[in-house]
Amino acid sequence: MSERYDIAIIGTGPAGLEAAINAKIRNKNIVIFGNKDLSPKLAKAAKVNNYLGLYNLTGTELKNKFADHIEDMGVEIVNEKINNVYAMGDYFSLMVNEKVYEAKAIILATGIEYTKPLIGEEEFLGKGVGYCATCDAPLYKGKTVVIVGYNKESVEEANYVSELSGKTYYIPMYKGEYNLNENVEIINNKPLKIVGDDVVTKMILDQGEIATDGIFMLRDSVSPSQLVPGIEIENGHIKVDRDMKTNIDGCYAAGDCTGTPYQYMKSAGEGLVAALSAVSYVDKLHENK
Amino acid sequence: MIKEVNDKNFDEEIGNSENIVVVDFWAPWCGPCRMLSPVIEELAKEMGKEVKFAKVNVDENPMISSKYRIASIPTVMVFSKDTVKDTMVGFRPKADIKKIIERHL
Ligand SMILES: Cc1cc2nc3c(=O)[nH]c(=O)nc-3n(C[C@H](O)[C@H](O)[C@H](O)COP(=O)(O)OP(=O)(O)OC[C@H]3O[C@@H](n4cnc5c(N)ncnc54)[C@H](O)[C@@H]3O)c2cc1C
Repeated sequence: MSERYDIAIIGTGPAGLEAAINAKIRNKNIVIFGNKDLSPKLAKAAKVNNYLGLYNLTGTELKNKFADHIEDMGVEIVNEKINNVYAMGDYFSLMVNEKVYEAKAIILATGIEYTKPLIGEEEFLGKGVGYCATCDAPLYKGKTVVIVGYNKESVEEANYVSELSGKTYYIPMYKGEYNLNENVEIINNKPLKIVGDDVVTKMILDQGEIATDGIFMLRDSVSPSQLVPGIEIENGHIKVDRDMKTNIDGCYAAGDCTGTPYQYMKSAGEGLVAALSAVSYVDKLHENK
Repeated sequence: MIKEVNDKNFDEEIGNSENIVVVDFWAPWCGPCRMLSPVIEELAKEMGKEVKFAKVNVDENPMISSKYRIASIPTVMVFSKDTVKDTMVGFRPKADIKKIIERHL
């Protein structure tokens, strides 16, 4: 059994990092997940001039300042991607493939993703549409499955599914070599729409359509509602109150994922508030014990 | 507390129950199902007087699973006699499931 952290932070942009240093200052046992480059959006910014105190810097220079700061505070980034967070009651389980981390409170600082769901995707979620092919593959024994793959990892899942399903189609959404089993059929058309009645019946493409029983959408990053089942979303963003609390007790959110404006300073400010709220939540948990 | 039901006794256990029945469709290979089961167990402890709790292993019971069109697991269904009153697909926090069950009390 692994240790249970006080606070787990998901995301290493300005929101997550500001949350991490403040939780650390309050002496909480924290863990932060993300990547060593902190945020791809930091690297992309040409010039940043609206960050109080740090001006006329490139995104990369700002990133280096952030990196120095967290290093000085002893904040270490765990270079792993969280697939799912489950609210168990008075703690959270964070899944990294087969590994599980536990924390009393969590802060979501995952930024925002710009790829939109397909038409019909949300409507048929759980009625033929899924995000984890290896999880649900046995339910499609002998049936037809379409896999829309946005990355290389999805090839592995397609191969696994093809061993169980009757027919597997693979629609690649990226360029590259696809190392697929022989019985997987590659479709080089653009998916437009998922249709069905009670359950999925077909996928409409820019040219033609495929009759199918199941569709798996395998993307790099997951939307907040897939990441944390049960979390309340409003207009595409995580719904929070002034304390950065979501609808789930012990779960906070900060940064672009909570809504516009998408800015560094706003993200950092929200990360600070979220950390302080999480700290008082964890302290209360201890008092009630 | 949580009754294991199968293709053979499903109708009897669910259809003949005076109380509403919450059925958890699961399988041993499904990660989210493993996370959900302690949550369901806690709910069974809290609500066991008014609500019956049952689970169906979809691997071993294909007839029931296809009858109720289980396309993704975990799926939790709320039954009253032989009618499905509510369906929840995927993991949900305890408070959410409780709220949905309470709608049918
Ligand atoms: C080109 C460009 C220029 C910009 N210029 C400016 C500017 O001049 N001034 C300004 O104020 N703003 C600017 N912005 C906006 C700014 O980049 C964002 O508002 C800010 O980065 C949001 O911070 P965040 O912490 O919310 O999320 P992000 O910076 O997006 O960081 C989120 C991090 O979390 C990681 N992550 C996500 N999901 C998971 C998971 N499941 N597990 C582990 N890690 C995960 C991501 O990989 C990412 O590293 C610019 C943006 C762009 C793209």
